[in-house]
Amino acid sequence: MSLAGIPLIVLALLGAPLFTVIAAGAMLGFSLSDVDLSVITIEIYRIAEMPVLVAIPLFTFAGYLLGESRAPSRLVRLTEALLGWLPGGLAVVALGACAFFTAFTGASGVTIIALGALLYPALREAGYDERFNLGLVTTSGSLGLLFAPSLPLILYGIVVQQTNLGAPVSIDDLFLAGIFPGILMLVLLAGWSFWANRGQRKKFTTFSWREIGAALVDSAWELPLPFVVLGGIYSGYFAVSEAAAVTALYVIVIEVLVRREISLTRLPGIMRQSMILVGGILLIVAVSLASTNYMIDAGIPTRLFEWINAHVSSPLTFLILLNIFLLILGALLDIFSALVLVVPLILPVAIGFGIDPVHLGIIFLANMQIGYLTPPVGLNLFIASYRFNKPISEVYRSAFPFLLALALSVGIITYWPKLSLFLIR
Amino acid sequence: MNFFRTLDRLGKIIEDALLFLLLAGMILLATGQIALRNFFATGFVWGDELLRIILLWLALFGAMAASRDDKHINIDLFSRFLPRPLLVWVRSLLDLFTAAVCWIIAWHGLEFVRMEAEFGSRLLGRFPSWWFQSIIPVGFAVIGLRYCIFLLGRLANPPIREKS
Repeated sequence: MSLAGIPLIVLALLGAPLFTVIAAGAMLGFSLSDVDLSVITIEIYRIAEMPVLVAIPLFTFAGYLLGESRAPSRLVRLTEALLGWLPGGLAVVALGACAFFTAFTGASGVTIIALGALLYPALREAGYDERFNLGLVTTSGSLGLLFAPSLPLILYGIVVQQTNLGAPVSIDDLFLAGIFPGILMLVLLAGWSFWANRGQRKKFTTFSWREIGAALVDSAWELPLPFVVLGGIYSGYFAVSEAAAVTALYVIVIEVLVRREISLTRLPGIMRQSMILVGGILLIVAVSLASTNYMIDAGIPTRLFEWINAHVSSPLTFLILLNIFLLILGALLDIFSALVLVVPLILPVAIGFGIDPVHLGIIFLANMQIGYLTPPVGLNLFIASYRFNKPISEVYRSAFPFLLALALSVGIITYWPKLSLFLIR
Repeated sequence: MNFFRTLDRLGKIIEDALLFLLLAGMILLATGQIALRNFFATGFVWGDELLRIILLWLALFGAMAASRDDKHINIDLFSRFLPRPLLVWVRSLLDLFTAAVCWIIAWHGLEFVRMEAEFGSRLLGRFPSWWFQSIIPVGFAVIGLRYCIFLLGRLANPPIREKS
Protein backbone atom coordinates (compact mmCIF):
# COMPACT_ATOMS: atom_id res chain seq x y z
CA MET A 1 0.00 0.00 0.00
CA SER A 2 2.72 2.44 0.95
CA LEU A 3 4.57 1.81 -2.33
CA ALA A 4 1.40 2.04 -4.36
CA GLY A 5 0.63 5.32 -2.64
CA ILE A 6 3.66 7.12 -4.09
CA PRO A 7 2.32 7.55 -7.65
CA LEU A 8 -0.90 8.87 -6.11
CA ILE A 9 1.00 11.47 -4.11
CA VAL A 10 2.86 12.50 -7.25
CA LEU A 11 -0.43 12.83 -9.13
CA ALA A 12 -1.83 14.94 -6.29
CA LEU A 13 1.20 17.21 -6.28
CA LEU A 14 0.97 17.60 -10.05
CA GLY A 15 -2.56 18.94 -9.61
CA ALA A 16 -4.99 16.03 -10.02
CA PRO A 17 -8.38 16.80 -8.44
CA LEU A 18 -7.97 15.72 -4.83
CA PHE A 19 -11.21 13.77 -4.74
CA THR A 20 -9.91 11.43 -7.43
CA VAL A 21 -6.63 10.91 -5.57
CA ILE A 22 -8.46 10.13 -2.32
CA ALA A 23 -10.93 7.84 -4.09
CA ALA A 24 -8.16 6.04 -5.93
CA GLY A 25 -6.27 5.55 -2.68
CA ALA A 26 -9.33 4.13 -0.95
CA MET A 27 -10.16 1.82 -3.84
CA LEU A 28 -6.57 0.65 -4.05
CA GLY A 29 -6.57 -0.12 -0.36
CA PHE A 30 -9.89 -1.94 -0.50
CA SER A 31 -8.91 -4.04 -3.49
CA LEU A 32 -5.58 -5.00 -1.91
CA SER A 33 -7.49 -6.27 1.12
CA ASP A 34 -10.03 -8.05 -1.09
CA VAL A 35 -13.00 -5.87 -0.24
CA ASP A 36 -15.57 -5.51 -3.01
CA LEU A 37 -15.24 -2.05 -4.55
CA SER A 38 -18.97 -1.34 -4.47
CA VAL A 39 -18.19 -0.26 -0.93
CA ILE A 40 -17.01 3.06 -2.38
CA THR A 41 -20.54 3.90 -3.52
CA ILE A 42 -21.97 2.85 -0.19
CA GLU A 43 -19.57 5.27 1.50
CA ILE A 44 -20.36 8.09 -0.94
CA TYR A 45 -24.04 7.51 -0.33
CA ARG A 46 -23.43 8.09 3.37
CA ILE A 47 -23.36 11.85 2.77
CA ALA A 48 -27.11 11.44 2.37
CA GLU A 49 -27.24 10.10 5.90
CA MET A 50 -25.70 13.08 7.67
CA PRO A 51 -28.35 15.73 8.32
CA VAL A 52 -25.86 18.35 9.50
CA LEU A 53 -24.16 18.46 6.07
CA VAL A 54 -27.20 20.39 4.85
CA ALA A 55 -25.65 23.40 6.61
CA ILE A 56 -22.77 23.52 4.11
CA PRO A 57 -24.63 24.51 0.92
CA LEU A 58 -26.95 26.84 2.83
CA PHE A 59 -24.27 28.85 4.66
CA THR A 60 -22.06 28.95 1.57
CA PHE A 61 -24.87 30.29 -0.57
CA ALA A 62 -25.82 32.89 2.06
CA GLY A 63 -22.18 34.02 2.19
CA TYR A 64 -21.89 34.34 -1.58
CA LEU A 65 -25.15 36.27 -1.73
CA LEU A 66 -23.98 38.69 0.97
CA GLY A 67 -20.74 39.13 -0.93
CA GLU A 68 -22.60 40.07 -4.10
CA SER A 69 -24.81 42.61 -2.35
CA ARG A 70 -23.66 45.93 -0.94
CA ALA A 71 -23.55 44.46 2.56
CA PRO A 72 -19.71 44.58 2.59
CA SER A 73 -19.65 48.36 2.06
CA ARG A 74 -22.31 48.86 4.75
CA LEU A 75 -20.25 46.74 7.11
CA VAL A 76 -17.14 48.82 6.40
CA ARG A 77 -19.12 52.03 6.94
CA LEU A 78 -20.35 50.83 10.30
CA THR A 79 -16.95 49.71 11.57
CA GLU A 80 -15.43 52.93 10.25
CA ALA A 81 -17.94 54.97 12.23
CA LEU A 82 -17.21 52.94 15.35
CA LEU A 83 -13.40 52.71 15.09
CA GLY A 84 -12.19 54.94 12.28
CA TRP A 85 -11.58 57.93 14.56
CA LEU A 86 -8.79 56.11 16.45
CA PRO A 87 -5.31 56.87 15.15
CA GLY A 88 -4.44 53.81 13.10
CA GLY A 89 -8.02 52.72 13.57
CA LEU A 90 -8.80 52.00 9.95
CA ALA A 91 -6.57 48.93 10.08
CA VAL A 92 -8.65 47.65 12.96
CA VAL A 93 -11.76 48.41 10.93
CA ALA A 94 -10.43 46.18 8.20
CA LEU A 95 -9.66 43.35 10.62
CA GLY A 96 -13.03 43.50 12.37
CA ALA A 97 -15.12 43.75 9.23
CA CYS A 98 -13.22 40.91 7.55
CA ALA A 99 -13.51 38.63 10.57
CA PHE A 100 -17.25 39.19 10.76
CA PHE A 101 -17.68 38.61 7.07
CA THR A 102 -15.45 35.54 6.83
CA ALA A 103 -17.40 33.79 9.57
CA PHE A 104 -20.28 33.75 7.09
CA THR A 105 -18.39 33.12 3.88
CA GLY A 106 -16.22 30.34 5.29
CA ALA A 107 -12.78 31.61 4.30
CA SER A 108 -13.23 30.61 0.70
CA GLY A 109 -11.49 33.67 -0.65
CA VAL A 110 -14.72 35.62 -0.96
CA THR A 111 -13.64 38.04 1.74
CA ILE A 112 -10.61 39.37 -0.10
CA ILE A 113 -12.63 39.85 -3.23
CA ALA A 114 -15.67 41.44 -1.59
CA LEU A 115 -14.11 43.45 1.24
CA GLY A 116 -10.51 43.81 0.10
CA ALA A 117 -11.65 45.78 -2.91
CA LEU A 118 -13.25 48.32 -0.57
CA LEU A 119 -10.60 48.41 2.13
CA TYR A 120 -7.47 48.44 0.03
CA PRO A 121 -8.14 51.81 -1.64
CA ALA A 122 -9.52 53.25 1.61
CA LEU A 123 -6.36 52.29 3.48
CA ARG A 124 -4.16 53.78 0.79
CA GLU A 125 -6.14 57.01 0.82
CA ALA A 126 -5.76 57.19 4.57
CA GLY A 127 -2.00 57.19 4.07
CA TYR A 128 -1.10 53.70 5.22
CA ASP A 129 2.05 52.18 3.81
CA GLU A 130 1.42 50.22 0.63
CA ARG A 131 3.10 47.08 1.86
CA PHE A 132 1.22 47.18 5.17
CA ASN A 133 -2.10 47.48 3.29
CA LEU A 134 -1.42 44.55 1.08
CA GLY A 135 -0.40 42.38 4.02
CA LEU A 136 -3.39 43.43 6.06
CA VAL A 137 -5.94 42.75 3.35
CA THR A 138 -4.32 39.41 2.47
CA THR A 139 -4.32 38.29 6.10
CA SER A 140 -7.87 39.43 6.72
CA GLY A 141 -9.15 37.05 4.07
CA SER A 142 -9.05 34.07 6.40
CA LEU A 143 -9.57 35.87 9.68
CA GLY A 144 -12.81 34.85 11.30
CA LEU A 145 -12.34 31.18 10.54
CA LEU A 146 -12.82 30.46 14.21
CA PHE A 147 -16.09 32.36 14.51
CA ALA A 148 -19.47 30.71 14.11
CA PRO A 149 -20.89 29.69 11.71
CA SER A 150 -17.71 29.20 9.69
CA LEU A 151 -17.70 26.21 7.38
CA PRO A 152 -14.42 24.67 8.60
CA LEU A 153 -15.72 24.62 12.20
CA ILE A 154 -18.85 22.80 11.08
CA LEU A 155 -16.85 20.39 8.95
CA TYR A 156 -14.51 19.56 11.83
CA GLY A 157 -17.51 18.68 13.99
CA ILE A 158 -18.92 16.46 11.25
CA VAL A 159 -15.62 14.64 10.74
CA VAL A 160 -15.23 13.98 14.47
CA GLN A 161 -18.78 12.67 14.73
CA GLN A 162 -18.05 10.36 11.80
CA THR A 163 -14.97 8.81 13.35
CA ASN A 164 -17.18 7.35 16.06
CA LEU A 165 -14.69 7.54 18.86
CA GLY A 166 -17.33 8.46 21.36
CA ALA A 167 -15.60 11.82 21.67
CA PRO A 168 -18.16 14.34 22.90
CA VAL A 169 -17.90 17.04 20.24
CA SER A 170 -20.93 18.99 19.17
CA ILE A 171 -20.84 21.76 16.62
CA ASP A 172 -22.51 24.04 19.18
CA ASP A 173 -19.51 23.48 21.48
CA LEU A 174 -17.07 24.23 18.67
CA PHE A 175 -18.86 27.51 17.96
CA LEU A 176 -18.40 28.56 21.58
CA ALA A 177 -14.81 27.30 21.74
CA GLY A 178 -13.78 29.42 18.75
CA ILE A 179 -14.86 32.74 20.21
CA PHE A 180 -11.94 33.62 22.49
CA PRO A 181 -9.16 32.17 20.31
CA GLY A 182 -10.66 34.15 17.43
CA ILE A 183 -10.70 37.31 19.52
CA LEU A 184 -7.09 36.65 20.54
CA MET A 185 -6.06 36.58 16.90
CA LEU A 186 -7.90 39.83 16.27
CA VAL A 187 -6.28 41.51 19.26
CA LEU A 188 -2.75 40.44 18.30
CA LEU A 189 -3.20 41.52 14.70
CA ALA A 190 -4.72 44.82 15.80
CA GLY A 191 -1.80 45.29 18.19
CA TRP A 192 0.67 44.78 15.38
CA SER A 193 -1.31 47.19 13.18
CA PHE A 194 -1.18 49.93 15.83
CA TRP A 195 2.53 49.30 16.41
CA ALA A 196 3.36 49.31 12.69
CA ASN A 197 1.53 52.60 12.25
CA ARG A 198 2.60 54.27 15.47
CA GLY A 199 4.01 57.18 13.44
CA GLN A 200 0.65 57.62 11.76
CA ARG A 201 -1.35 60.20 13.62
CA LYS A 202 -3.83 61.10 10.94
CA LYS A 203 -7.36 60.20 11.83
CA PHE A 204 -9.47 58.78 9.07
CA THR A 205 -12.82 59.99 10.33
CA THR A 206 -13.90 62.08 13.27
CA PHE A 207 -15.96 60.48 15.96
CA SER A 208 -19.62 61.25 15.47
CA TRP A 209 -22.68 59.80 17.15
CA ARG A 210 -24.68 60.93 14.19
CA GLU A 211 -22.58 58.87 11.75
CA ILE A 212 -22.69 55.86 14.05
CA GLY A 213 -26.46 56.14 14.18
CA ALA A 214 -26.74 56.52 10.43
CA ALA A 215 -24.42 53.56 9.81
CA LEU A 216 -26.41 51.45 12.26
CA VAL A 217 -29.64 52.26 10.46
CA ASP A 218 -27.91 51.53 7.16
CA SER A 219 -26.92 48.04 8.32
CA ALA A 220 -30.08 47.41 10.29
CA TRP A 221 -31.11 44.44 8.17
CA GLU A 222 -27.77 42.61 8.26
CA LEU A 223 -26.88 43.23 11.91
CA PRO A 224 -29.35 40.68 13.34
CA LEU A 225 -27.73 37.83 11.36
CA PRO A 226 -25.22 36.62 13.98
CA PHE A 227 -27.92 36.85 16.62
CA VAL A 228 -30.34 34.88 14.49
CA VAL A 229 -27.75 32.16 13.95
CA LEU A 230 -26.27 31.91 17.43
CA GLY A 231 -29.40 32.89 19.30
CA GLY A 232 -31.47 30.36 17.42
CA ILE A 233 -29.00 27.56 18.07
CA TYR A 234 -28.35 28.24 21.76
CA SER A 235 -31.95 28.92 22.66
CA GLY A 236 -32.79 25.54 21.20
CA TYR A 237 -35.16 26.83 18.54
CA PHE A 238 -33.20 25.18 15.78
CA ALA A 239 -30.26 22.95 14.94
CA VAL A 240 -27.14 24.11 13.09
CA SER A 241 -28.45 22.99 9.71
CA GLU A 242 -31.73 24.79 10.36
CA ALA A 243 -29.90 27.96 11.38
CA ALA A 244 -28.24 27.73 7.97
CA ALA A 245 -31.62 27.48 6.24
CA VAL A 246 -32.96 30.47 8.17
CA THR A 247 -29.83 32.46 7.29
CA ALA A 248 -30.15 31.62 3.60
CA LEU A 249 -33.82 32.53 3.47
CA TYR A 250 -33.25 35.71 5.48
CA VAL A 251 -30.41 36.87 3.22
CA ILE A 252 -32.50 36.21 0.09
CA VAL A 253 -35.45 38.14 1.50
CA ILE A 254 -33.28 41.08 2.57
CA GLU A 255 -30.95 41.46 -0.39
CA VAL A 256 -33.34 40.43 -3.16
CA LEU A 257 -36.79 41.47 -1.99
CA VAL A 258 -36.28 44.25 0.58
CA ARG A 259 -33.15 46.05 -0.58
CA ARG A 260 -33.38 44.87 -4.18
CA GLU A 261 -29.64 45.00 -4.61
CA ILE A 262 -29.59 41.64 -6.35
CA SER A 263 -32.13 41.01 -9.07
CA LEU A 264 -33.96 37.70 -9.20
CA THR A 265 -32.31 36.92 -12.52
CA ARG A 266 -28.86 37.00 -10.92
CA LEU A 267 -29.81 34.40 -8.30
CA PRO A 268 -29.20 31.30 -10.46
CA GLY A 269 -25.70 32.53 -11.34
CA ILE A 270 -24.81 33.15 -7.70
CA MET A 271 -26.26 29.78 -6.76
CA ARG A 272 -24.13 28.12 -9.41
CA GLN A 273 -20.96 29.87 -8.21
CA SER A 274 -21.55 28.83 -4.61
CA MET A 275 -22.60 25.28 -5.48
CA ILE A 276 -19.39 24.75 -7.46
CA LEU A 277 -17.49 25.22 -4.21
CA VAL A 278 -20.01 23.10 -2.30
CA GLY A 279 -19.87 20.30 -4.87
CA GLY A 280 -16.09 20.32 -4.64
CA ILE A 281 -16.10 20.16 -0.84
CA LEU A 282 -18.84 17.53 -0.54
CA LEU A 283 -17.21 15.29 -3.12
CA ILE A 284 -14.03 15.31 -1.06
CA VAL A 285 -16.05 14.64 2.11
CA ALA A 286 -17.80 11.73 0.35
CA VAL A 287 -14.70 9.94 -0.92
CA SER A 288 -12.82 10.62 2.29
CA LEU A 289 -15.52 8.69 4.17
CA ALA A 290 -14.34 5.71 2.13
CA SER A 291 -10.63 6.36 2.67
CA THR A 292 -11.15 6.90 6.40
CA ASN A 293 -13.10 3.67 6.62
CA TYR A 294 -10.24 1.88 4.89
CA MET A 295 -7.63 3.41 7.18
CA ILE A 296 -9.57 2.44 10.28
CA ASP A 297 -10.10 -1.11 8.94
CA ALA A 298 -6.39 -1.37 8.29
CA GLY A 299 -5.68 -0.14 11.81
CA ILE A 300 -3.62 2.80 10.63
CA PRO A 301 -4.69 5.25 13.39
CA THR A 302 -3.83 2.65 16.05
CA ARG A 303 -0.43 1.96 14.52
CA LEU A 304 0.22 5.67 14.17
CA PHE A 305 -0.68 6.13 17.82
CA GLU A 306 1.61 3.28 18.93
CA TRP A 307 4.46 4.63 16.84
CA ILE A 308 4.10 8.16 18.15
CA ASN A 309 3.62 6.90 21.69
CA ALA A 310 6.88 5.00 21.44
CA HIS A 311 8.79 8.10 20.38
CA VAL A 312 6.96 10.92 22.10
CA SER A 313 6.35 10.82 25.79
CA SER A 314 4.82 14.11 26.88
CA PRO A 315 1.69 15.82 25.61
CA LEU A 316 3.74 19.00 25.27
CA THR A 317 6.18 17.43 22.81
CA PHE A 318 3.23 16.00 20.95
CA LEU A 319 1.64 19.44 20.66
CA ILE A 320 4.86 20.98 19.37
CA LEU A 321 5.16 18.24 16.75
CA LEU A 322 1.49 18.65 15.91
CA ASN A 323 1.98 22.37 15.30
CA ILE A 324 4.91 21.78 12.98
CA PHE A 325 3.04 19.05 11.13
CA LEU A 326 -0.10 21.15 10.73
CA LEU A 327 1.85 24.16 9.48
CA ILE A 328 3.40 22.04 6.73
CA LEU A 329 0.03 20.45 6.00
CA GLY A 330 -1.64 23.85 5.80
CA ALA A 331 0.96 25.03 3.31
CA LEU A 332 0.18 22.11 1.04
CA LEU A 333 -3.49 21.27 1.38
CA ASP A 334 -6.61 23.40 1.44
CA ILE A 335 -8.44 23.47 4.73
CA PHE A 336 -11.33 21.23 3.69
CA SER A 337 -9.23 18.38 2.32
CA ALA A 338 -6.86 18.63 5.27
CA LEU A 339 -9.80 18.34 7.68
CA VAL A 340 -11.39 15.26 6.18
CA LEU A 341 -8.12 13.45 5.52
CA VAL A 342 -6.04 14.17 8.58
CA VAL A 343 -8.44 14.66 11.48
CA PRO A 344 -9.51 10.97 11.57
CA LEU A 345 -5.82 10.04 11.83
CA ILE A 346 -4.65 12.47 14.50
CA LEU A 347 -7.81 12.56 16.60
CA PRO A 348 -7.25 9.17 18.31
CA VAL A 349 -3.59 10.10 18.89
CA ALA A 350 -4.52 13.44 20.39
CA ILE A 351 -7.15 11.88 22.64
CA GLY A 352 -4.52 9.36 23.73
CA PHE A 353 -2.37 12.28 24.86
CA GLY A 354 -5.30 13.69 26.79
CA ILE A 355 -6.06 16.56 24.44
CA ASP A 356 -9.68 17.61 24.33
CA PRO A 357 -11.16 17.00 20.86
CA VAL A 358 -12.79 20.44 20.88
CA HIS A 359 -9.42 22.03 21.67
CA LEU A 360 -7.81 19.93 18.94
CA GLY A 361 -10.29 21.37 16.47
CA ILE A 362 -9.42 24.93 17.38
CA ILE A 363 -5.68 24.14 17.19
CA PHE A 364 -6.19 22.50 13.83
CA LEU A 365 -8.09 25.40 12.30
CA ALA A 366 -5.82 28.05 13.77
CA ASN A 367 -2.81 26.32 12.21
CA MET A 368 -4.62 25.93 8.92
CA GLN A 369 -5.36 29.64 8.92
CA ILE A 370 -1.63 30.32 8.73
CA GLY A 371 -1.54 27.92 5.80
CA TYR A 372 -3.58 30.46 3.82
CA LEU A 373 -0.58 32.77 3.98
CA THR A 374 2.30 30.41 3.37
CA PRO A 375 3.77 29.48 0.01
CA PRO A 376 3.66 27.38 -2.06
CA VAL A 377 -0.12 27.04 -2.13
CA GLY A 378 -1.48 29.66 0.29
CA LEU A 379 -4.85 30.53 -1.20
CA ASN A 380 -4.97 34.11 0.09
CA LEU A 381 -1.59 34.93 -1.44
CA PHE A 382 -2.86 34.00 -4.87
CA ILE A 383 -6.21 35.71 -4.56
CA ALA A 384 -4.60 38.91 -3.31
CA SER A 385 -1.93 38.78 -5.99
CA TYR A 386 -4.60 38.32 -8.64
CA ARG A 387 -7.03 40.85 -7.19
CA PHE A 388 -4.54 43.66 -6.54
CA ASN A 389 -2.27 42.88 -9.42
CA LYS A 390 0.91 42.39 -7.38
CA PRO A 391 3.60 39.75 -7.79
CA ILE A 392 3.14 36.85 -5.44
CA SER A 393 6.54 37.36 -3.81
CA GLU A 394 5.59 40.91 -2.84
CA VAL A 395 2.29 39.73 -1.38
CA TYR A 396 4.13 37.09 0.59
CA ARG A 397 6.69 39.53 2.01
CA SER A 398 3.99 41.99 2.98
CA ALA A 399 1.92 39.31 4.72
CA PHE A 400 4.90 37.99 6.67
CA PRO A 401 4.69 40.22 9.79
CA PHE A 402 1.01 39.37 10.07
CA LEU A 403 1.88 35.72 9.74
CA LEU A 404 4.19 36.10 12.73
CA ALA A 405 1.39 37.65 14.79
CA LEU A 406 -0.85 34.73 13.81
CA ALA A 407 1.89 32.26 14.71
CA LEU A 408 2.13 33.80 18.16
CA SER A 409 -1.62 33.45 18.64
CA VAL A 410 -1.50 29.84 17.43
CA GLY A 411 1.14 29.17 20.07
CA ILE A 412 -1.03 30.65 22.80
CA ILE A 413 -4.12 28.81 21.55
CA THR A 414 -2.24 25.50 21.48
CA TYR A 415 -0.61 25.64 24.90
CA TRP A 416 -3.45 27.30 26.79
CA PRO A 417 -6.42 24.93 26.39
CA LYS A 418 -8.58 26.89 28.82
CA LEU A 419 -8.83 29.74 26.33
CA SER A 420 -10.82 27.47 24.04
CA LEU A 421 -12.56 25.37 26.62
CA PHE A 422 -13.67 27.50 29.51
CA LEU A 423 -17.03 28.32 27.96
CA ILE A 424 -17.98 24.69 27.52
CA ARG A 425 -16.21 22.41 30.00
CA MET B 1 -18.88 20.84 -33.92
CA ASN B 2 -21.93 23.09 -33.70
CA PHE B 3 -23.99 20.16 -32.51
CA PHE B 4 -21.62 19.60 -29.60
CA ARG B 5 -21.64 23.26 -28.71
CA THR B 6 -25.44 23.24 -28.55
CA LEU B 7 -25.32 20.11 -26.46
CA ASP B 8 -22.82 21.77 -24.13
CA ARG B 9 -24.98 24.86 -23.74
CA LEU B 10 -28.06 22.71 -23.13
CA GLY B 11 -26.16 20.81 -20.46
CA LYS B 12 -25.26 24.02 -18.66
CA ILE B 13 -28.87 25.22 -18.73
CA ILE B 14 -30.06 21.93 -17.24
CA GLU B 15 -27.32 22.08 -14.58
CA ASP B 16 -28.23 25.66 -13.65
CA ALA B 17 -31.94 24.94 -13.54
CA LEU B 18 -31.48 21.89 -11.36
CA LEU B 19 -29.06 23.65 -9.01
CA PHE B 20 -31.61 26.44 -8.64
CA LEU B 21 -34.53 24.08 -8.01
CA LEU B 22 -32.59 21.91 -5.57
CA LEU B 23 -31.18 24.79 -3.53
CA ALA B 24 -34.44 26.75 -3.49
CA GLY B 25 -36.28 23.57 -2.54
CA MET B 26 -33.81 22.87 0.24
CA ILE B 27 -34.19 26.37 1.71
CA LEU B 28 -37.99 26.31 1.57
CA LEU B 29 -38.32 22.78 2.92
CA ALA B 30 -35.87 23.33 5.77
CA THR B 31 -37.37 26.65 6.87
CA GLY B 32 -40.86 25.24 6.41
CA GLN B 33 -40.01 22.40 8.79
CA ILE B 34 -38.85 24.86 11.45
CA ALA B 35 -41.99 26.96 11.10
CA LEU B 36 -44.26 23.94 11.28
CA ARG B 37 -42.46 22.53 14.30
CA ASN B 38 -42.20 25.72 16.32
CA PHE B 39 -45.56 27.27 15.52
CA PHE B 40 -47.81 24.33 14.78
CA ALA B 41 -46.03 21.47 16.59
CA THR B 42 -46.15 19.39 13.43
CA GLY B 43 -43.98 18.70 10.37
CA PHE B 44 -43.56 16.67 7.20
CA VAL B 45 -42.79 13.07 8.14
CA TRP B 46 -40.52 12.69 5.11
CA GLY B 47 -39.04 16.19 5.38
CA ASP B 48 -35.65 15.30 6.84
CA GLU B 49 -35.20 12.36 4.52
CA LEU B 50 -36.00 14.51 1.50
CA LEU B 51 -33.54 17.18 2.67
CA ARG B 52 -30.75 14.64 2.78
CA ILE B 53 -31.61 13.38 -0.70
CA ILE B 54 -31.58 16.96 -1.99
CA LEU B 55 -28.15 17.37 -0.40
CA LEU B 56 -26.83 14.32 -2.27
CA TRP B 57 -28.16 15.69 -5.54
CA LEU B 58 -26.81 19.19 -4.86
CA ALA B 59 -23.41 17.71 -4.09
CA LEU B 60 -23.28 15.80 -7.36
CA PHE B 61 -24.70 18.56 -9.52
CA GLY B 62 -22.33 21.03 -7.87
CA ALA B 63 -19.50 18.62 -8.61
CA MET B 64 -20.61 18.34 -12.23
CA ALA B 65 -20.71 22.13 -12.48
CA ALA B 66 -17.24 22.30 -10.91
CA SER B 67 -15.83 19.88 -13.46
CA ARG B 68 -17.32 21.92 -16.30
CA ASP B 69 -15.03 24.80 -15.28
CA ASP B 70 -12.27 22.43 -14.08
CA LYS B 71 -12.64 23.95 -10.62
CA HIS B 72 -12.16 20.90 -8.44
CA ILE B 73 -10.07 21.40 -5.35
CA ASN B 74 -6.46 20.43 -6.08
CA ILE B 75 -2.89 21.18 -5.13
CA ASP B 76 -1.55 23.45 -7.81
CA LEU B 77 2.10 23.27 -6.91
CA PHE B 78 4.20 22.52 -9.96
CA SER B 79 2.19 23.69 -12.93
CA ARG B 80 3.70 27.16 -12.63
CA PHE B 81 7.20 25.81 -12.99
CA LEU B 82 6.70 23.18 -15.68
CA PRO B 83 7.67 24.16 -19.23
CA ARG B 84 4.71 24.54 -21.55
CA PRO B 85 5.08 21.40 -23.73
CA LEU B 86 5.60 19.19 -20.69
CA LEU B 87 2.62 20.81 -18.97
CA VAL B 88 0.33 19.72 -21.81
CA TRP B 89 1.40 16.11 -21.32
CA VAL B 90 1.09 16.28 -17.55
CA ARG B 91 -2.38 17.79 -17.80
CA SER B 92 -3.38 15.12 -20.32
CA LEU B 93 -2.21 12.43 -17.94
CA LEU B 94 -4.20 14.00 -15.09
CA ASP B 95 -7.34 14.21 -17.25
CA LEU B 96 -6.96 10.56 -18.14
CA PHE B 97 -6.48 9.61 -14.49
CA THR B 98 -9.47 11.68 -13.37
CA ALA B 99 -11.73 10.25 -16.07
CA ALA B 100 -10.64 6.71 -15.23
CA VAL B 101 -11.26 7.09 -11.48
CA CYS B 102 -14.67 8.67 -12.10
CA TRP B 103 -15.70 5.88 -14.43
CA ILE B 104 -14.59 3.19 -12.03
CA ILE B 105 -16.73 4.84 -9.34
CA ALA B 106 -19.61 5.21 -11.81
CA TRP B 107 -19.34 1.52 -12.71
CA HIS B 108 -19.50 0.42 -9.09
CA GLY B 109 -22.24 2.96 -8.50
CA LEU B 110 -24.25 1.30 -11.24
CA GLU B 111 -23.76 -2.04 -9.52
CA PHE B 112 -24.90 -0.52 -6.21
CA VAL B 113 -28.00 0.98 -7.81
CA ARG B 114 -28.81 -2.32 -9.53
CA MET B 115 -28.58 -4.17 -6.24
CA GLU B 116 -30.79 -1.63 -4.50
CA ALA B 117 -33.35 -1.97 -7.30
CA GLU B 118 -33.31 -5.75 -6.94
CA PHE B 119 -33.58 -5.49 -3.20
CA GLY B 120 -36.59 -3.21 -3.64
CA SER B 121 -35.67 -0.73 -0.89
CA ARG B 122 -37.78 2.41 -0.71
CA LEU B 123 -37.31 6.02 0.28
CA LEU B 124 -39.82 8.66 1.37
CA GLY B 125 -42.27 5.88 2.19
CA ARG B 126 -43.02 4.56 -1.24
CA PHE B 127 -40.49 5.51 -3.95
CA PRO B 128 -37.85 3.02 -5.08
CA SER B 129 -34.61 4.22 -3.56
CA TRP B 130 -32.61 3.56 -6.72
CA TRP B 131 -34.39 6.47 -8.39
CA PHE B 132 -32.61 8.83 -6.04
CA GLN B 133 -29.35 6.90 -5.82
CA SER B 134 -28.81 6.72 -9.57
CA ILE B 135 -27.46 10.27 -9.38
CA ILE B 136 -24.20 8.77 -8.06
CA PRO B 137 -23.29 6.75 -11.19
CA VAL B 138 -24.77 9.41 -13.48
CA GLY B 139 -22.84 12.21 -11.78
CA PHE B 140 -19.50 10.43 -11.82
CA ALA B 141 -20.02 9.28 -15.41
CA VAL B 142 -20.66 12.89 -16.48
CA ILE B 143 -17.60 14.17 -14.61
CA GLY B 144 -15.50 11.43 -16.21
CA LEU B 145 -16.90 12.30 -19.62
CA ARG B 146 -16.03 15.93 -19.13
CA TYR B 147 -12.40 15.18 -18.32
CA CYS B 148 -12.33 12.92 -21.35
CA ILE B 149 -13.47 15.87 -23.47
CA PHE B 150 -10.76 18.03 -21.87
CA LEU B 151 -8.23 15.36 -22.81
CA LEU B 152 -9.40 15.13 -26.43
CA GLY B 153 -9.44 18.91 -26.75
CA ARG B 154 -5.92 19.11 -25.38
CA LEU B 155 -4.57 16.44 -27.68
CA ALA B 156 -6.29 17.91 -30.73
CA ASN B 157 -5.30 21.47 -29.95
CA PRO B 158 -2.53 21.58 -27.32
CA PRO B 159 -2.56 25.08 -25.83
CA ILE B 160 -6.27 25.02 -24.97
CA ARG B 161 -7.81 25.75 -21.57
CA GLU B 162 -5.08 27.39 -19.59
CA LYS B 163 -5.84 27.57 -15.91
CA SER B 164 -5.76 31.05 -14.49
